[in-house]
Amino acid sequence: MRVFNRIVVVLLLVGLIALGAYMVVYSFELFGYQLSDLSSVLNGSTSSVEGFVSDVENGSLPTLTIAILAAVALLGLILLFMEFKPRRPRRVRMQRGTYVTRDVVKDEVTSAAEETPNVLGSSTTVDAKRRPGAKVRLRADVRRGQDIKALKSDLRERVQQHLARTGVPLGRLKLKLVESDPRQTKTRVQ
Amino acid sequence: MTNGILELARAAGEAALATEGVHSLGTGRYAEAATYEGAEKFTGVVVKPDELEVHIVARYPLARPIPELARLIRERVAAESGGRRTLVVVEDIKVAHEGL
Repeated sequence: MRVFNRIVVVLLLVGLIALGAYMVVYSFELFGYQLSDLSSVLNGSTSSVEGFVSDVENGSLPTLTIAILAAVALLGLILLFMEFKPRRPRRVRMQRGTYVTRDVVKDEVTSAAEETPNVLGSSTTVDAKRRPGAKVRLRADVRRGQDIKALKSDLRERVQQHLARTGVPLGRLKLKLVESDPRQTKTRVQ
Repeated sequence: MTNGILELARAAGEAALATEGVHSLGTGRYAEAATYEGAEKFTGVVVKPDELEVHIVARYPLARPIPELARLIRERVAAESGGRRTLVVVEDIKVAHEGL
């Protein structure tokens, strides 16, 4: 949402700069633009807006315009909902009054994953939940031809046990096992 | 010489550091975790009107699970917190000899 807000502010500022530039050009009558022409330019845009509004009032809008307006309204609704949604906490809540940074959880998950036999490398993403616990997405590289199902279950168990020993509550663990070439993973084959 | 929240932060920081399993005080991840008074600051403890935030780096290997370590810190810091609620933030886990 922060990125979207930035885009909106940048567009708004670009618009303001463009308007300011127009005003300077028209005010000082630069490049052959006359201030007296401005009213006719404004009248042109005002009449097109009036035309659009009368079309809306008469219910004679083209289908494409209706679809675009509906999409804009829907987008606005979604953005409004996202803006009102409380921000995701930065730190992982463990219990009353105890927090741990996402990096700590990430390091612990990575360490548990990379201690698992047949895991050649891993990458972890941790999100803090509003409730105690972390949402962990773990992608592990495994050698081709492994029993993925058994490996997944072993990996899940090891990560869960490791985090339980550390005391980090695990909210959700999403695992993705990717068959990789051992020459291109973190753990090289001897 | 300052007598106030900075002294309180120092005392709380020392109490936290004296807890077994604490490697050092943290500095804050997203913003500096410190208490300011006058021209001085103490990093690692944030004193708020009704809360005391203690940022720590735990020692690896962990002698006990993090919640238990946090409970011990809270117990030690309680006497220095001036009735404030104590929050413990574990910023990192470091091997004992790292950075010493």
